[in-house]
Amino acid sequence: MDFPENLPSLSSDMGRLEQIVSHFFPKALHIVLDSRIPSLQSRALRSRSSSNVKKSDKWFNLIMGDRPAALEKLHSWHRNILDSMIIDIILIHPTDDDHRSSSSETVIERWVVQYENPLIMSPQTTSDPTTRYQKVYKKAIILLRSLHAQTRLLPAYRASRQLTSSSLAPSGYEMVYKVSSFSDVFSPPVTETMKEFRFSPVEVPPGRLCASVTYRSDLSDFNLGAHITLPPRIIADYVGSPATDPMRFFPSPGQSFEATSFQGRAGGRPPLMTTTSATDRPHSWTSGFHRPPTPNQSFSPDFLHWSRTDGGYGGDSHHHYHQLSPPFSPSGSPRGSNSSPRIINVRPGTAPVTIPSSATFNRYVSSNFSEPSRNPLPPFSPKSTRRSPSSQDSLSGIALYKSSRSGESPSGLMNHYPGHNKLTKDSKYDSGRFSGLLSSSGSPRFGFSRSPSRLSSQDDLDDPDCSCPFDFDDVDDSGLQYSQSLDRRKTSSSISQSLPIGRKSQDAAVGVLVQMLKTAPPLRQDSSTYMASMSGVQREGSSVSGTESEFSMARSTSDALEELRNYKQLKDLLLSKSKNVGGATRVH
Amino acid sequence: MNCEACHLKELEVESFEIREVLRCILHTIVFHRALGLIRPKDIDLELFDITYVQCGEIEVEKKIDDKIEQFITWIDKHPNKKSQICLSFYEVKTKQPSWFTNKIERLYWEQWFINLNVLQPTKSPTGKSQHSKLVMDPGEESEERSSRRTLLEQSLQEVLFQIIKFVNEKKDHVPPINDGVIYCPFEITFPSSSDSTFGMDMIKRMLHSGGHPSMLS
Repeated sequence: MDFPENLPSLSSDMGRLEQIVSHFFPKALHIVLDSRIPSLQSRALRSRSSSNVKKSDKWFNLIMGDRPAALEKLHSWHRNILDSMIIDIILIHPTDDDHRSSSSETVIERWVVQYENPLIMSPQTTSDPTTRYQKVYKKAIILLRSLHAQTRLLPAYRASRQLTSSSLAPSGYEMVYKVSSFSDVFSPPVTETMKEFRFSPVEVPPGRLCASVTYRSDLSDFNLGAHITLPPRIIADYVGSPATDPMRFFPSPGQSFEATSFQGRAGGRPPLMTTTSATDRPHSWTSGFHRPPTPNQSFSPDFLHWSRTDGGYGGDSHHHYHQLSPPFSPSGSPRGSNSSPRIINVRPGTAPVTIPSSATFNRYVSSNFSEPSRNPLPPFSPKSTRRSPSSQDSLSGIALYKSSRSGESPSGLMNHYPGHNKLTKDSKYDSGRFSGLLSSSGSPRFGFSRSPSRLSSQDDLDDPDCSCPFDFDDVDDSGLQYSQSLDRRKTSSSISQSLPIGRKSQDAAVGVLVQMLKTAPPLRQDSSTYMASMSGVQREGSSVSGTESEFSMARSTSDALEELRNYKQLKDLLLSKSKNVGGATRVH
Repeated sequence: MNCEACHLKELEVESFEIREVLRCILHTIVFHRALGLIRPKDIDLELFDITYVQCGEIEVEKKIDDKIEQFITWIDKHPNKKSQICLSFYEVKTKQPSWFTNKIERLYWEQWFINLNVLQPTKSPTGKSQHSKLVMDPGEESEERSSRRTLLEQSLQEVLFQIIKFVNEKKDHVPPINDGVIYCPFEITFPSSSDSTFGMDMIKRMLHSGGHPSMLS
């Protein structure tokens, strides 16, 4: 039996039994309050590894996380194990009395934990005293397990969650607790709505541990849920409006994608996929189609807001680009530990979400739009598979894109280019292209190829000067700035370029993306490392050369690198020629 | 040590609800039988306003998910109305190998029977009930569905309460916790409730175990 603490020389079985009882109270207190009072939740302190679990937390084999100081104080008050522990969960809610709004308190739950010590000593059990504490411990563990599960089932849990969500918390409502002992108890008004559940007591000689809960089964009187969105319902053919989902991606039915990797967002931004609760917890995702529609509505405005911060592509693109990363990967911290098993380690500071939008953007710009200042994008090139992978873009963005049935990520992506919100026509086609892109490219690091693709070679040939969502006005600056912009573009455009084309298995597509992202060079690096990564890249051909003077969008990363190299060569040549001839010539 | 059995209340589910309902129930049961050091994980159901607790072990999650997928496949092939899933906890006992019995014997000490009534989609050739219902007579269908959904949510909560009650009431038969073992070994089976395939299942079991009355894994 794994007793968490070191018992130096407690040979006495009774000592261990007493320890079980004395540790039972704080554990039960922790379980109850952790599930009800948000300020006492220790979720943030929990880490995945169990190696740094405190011994005190290992009691009853239930790791709850670090106990908040408030709980420690509470427990220190409860010294006598014969005192019962009464935990009242009280809801403070506004009431209207005599046309005055005031607050009143209602006890919605009362948990009672006590160690009953019968006055008459119970006869010694026939069980072996040396192993008796093990059996008692096992039963106490089961009791706490059921207590833990029960806390999630009772109505107060939902109420507490509703109050926890900052965006949904109604004003004037608060959930507080009160811990008392038997001597201070006051009987709450027992109404018909109060039910009682008694946990089976655990015999701990010479007494027994008892736990029970009295709770209000109906909390609808408090109008907590008035502001809550509709209950989840299945919308099989949910399409969404172009305003909120300008770019829709419909994953194939039955495809389930782990969305938990995006819970660890930074900056307080809402995750792209979530339920109505904003709490950070994994969800039992079934398939990508079965999502409540309301979160789309509730979160897409945030995406609009978020994406608007990036604005257009002016001089601030440098900064805005980096602002793209927070919603999809926490800034500065590796997400490997937080991501689901399917998500490969993502590198912070990247903005993969731009990629699919640019892909779709490419698709539509080339076919439907004629921006006066921008040229249609080159299509996606299968030859991008030849390119070596580059920086580790956040796969979370891609995966998120794939798994977001409602297209929240695409909306965010699309809104990144506010000038191109019109690209919402054929979302299903987008998805097809997207999935195809994922599947078709092997290592589409520089997927933004300008060489003919399988699907739309004409566009490529027609418009070598492609406009791309990543068209920064300042890209024709010095090579360093260009390299930076290229760096950003290539990471994002690579995936976009590699997105569409044909429909293969989603898993293959994801695998491709993963490979690409894994081997992609980091986004923010100096030019030296950038050059190093560049040198490893194969280029599509010499078609890039013609566009040196035009830093328009829709370039493949290979093209970008090619251009950079060209520029450097040009610069060298100029320098050399200035010494010799004094004239400038263009490299090829 | 006797084998305790718990028959859970029957639930009427549609095919797309099976996964969530089964996950919820199976994980709740296993959580109460994962008596090793665990870090509990709260999971919110999407289709219902219910939160359940997982024991947090990846192997458990995978095993349960695999079994649920098998069950769903099986349900599609055998569109029986009622089906039963049996979650059995066992102890592994080694026995003297003989000519008839296997070397390793499983001693079942607890069995949970989850009864599901899978509603067949009505008036739908495609088999996707929600799709068909959206197409035909949406007003009535959605009303009926939402009321059925509410009923199912209440029933699911009752089932979870039932689990907690059973877990509380019967604790003596639980074998002692071994060091290093996180969760009690378990297996999930789904015998058919119809007579035609029941005989086949029995024959299969006999062939597999060589006459030993153990369940198929």
